Amino acid sequence: MTCKEMKEVMPDLALGLVPVSGENANHLRHCTACAEKLEQVQKTMALLDEWQAPEPSPYFDTRLHARLKEEKEKAPESWLAWIRRPALALVATLLVALSISLTLFRSKADPQSSPGTAVSDLQQLDKNNDLYSEFDVLDDLQVQPDVTANP
Amino acid sequence: MASAVPQSPSGPEGLTDAEMMLRVKAGDDSAFDYLVQKYRRAMINFMYRMAHNSAAAEDLAQEVFLRVYRSRGSYEPSAKFTTWLYRIATNLAVNHARDTRHERPETMVSLDEPDEETGTSMDVADSSLSVEEKLVRRERLMAIRKTVQKLPERQRIAVLMHKYQQMDYKQIAEVLKLSESATKSLLFRAYETLREQLKSFI
Repeated sequence: MTCKEMKEVMPDLALGLVPVSGENANHLRHCTACAEKLEQVQKTMALLDEWQAPEPSPYFDTRLHARLKEEKEKAPESWLAWIRRPALALVATLLVALSISLTLFRSKADPQSSPGTAVSDLQQLDKNNDLYSEFDVLDDLQVQPDVTANP
Repeated sequence: MASAVPQSPSGPEGLTDAEMMLRVKAGDDSAFDYLVQKYRRAMINFMYRMAHNSAAAEDLAQEVFLRVYRSRGSYEPSAKFTTWLYRIATNLAVNHARDTRHERPETMVSLDEPDEETGTSMDVADSSLSVEEKLVRRERLMAIRKTVQKLPERQRIAVLMHKYQQMDYKQIAEVLKLSESATKSLLFRAYETLREQLKSFI
């Protein structure tokens, strides 16, 4: 065992979680530095024992049971829990109704369908038909020779 | 020696803590009561040394058990029950310390006066001691608490779990999410600091 390995196991040795035997004991017999350090750590541990914690108060269990009872009485909050709250439900219903009526109003006010749909294609063809019917008028136009593009 | 984590792995009918917790998950409240009774002292002691106040320690320990109860539905026995318990406790204690660090003046933490809430003193009165001896003892205790409190957070938690809860390296490593060798080195550094800082009292 090396001094580094001894350092790693020293807190457990000092606390008595690992017995001083075998390799540990052999190393400590030959390494005065480690043996002294272990003794000091053991004394430090003994000093730390002076810091005692209080006993649980007699009310600990009563308080915990009261808090636990409160916890159990709380209804589990599901995602539908808001339905049980009338004010929230009313606001949510009004919002849904408002958004539906707004959508309907917009679609009536602006009958143009969105591009790429079958309805919009037919509407486009309708417009083009009007244009084609006026092509004959364009044919009848005479070019005026005295008109130049850049006078 | 104070407040080691209960070592006996089996509960009623030879069940482990994890199996008891699975019973809690299945709706058996008596299994929860069993776990509370088994670990309440260890939890209060751990929280007391983290929070330095016995009233806060009891509140925090209760909160740990409430969180255990709340999480029963999602409990999976992938780790030791105590590892899970101490992870909850550590998170709570660290958050509590951060939330109240401006509320706790240095003197309140270091003075070894009887606890304001309970009236109990950690420096147990001993009528066989002279006034001078009592003063020396008080000073020593104050130094211990101050020195432990001044350790870096992880070192402090590791020392409290190792020294006062008697937890082994592996378990401490699991709670702190560190490797075992990192935990060994963390503990060695912590004890070196304590030894150095407290050598005048040894």
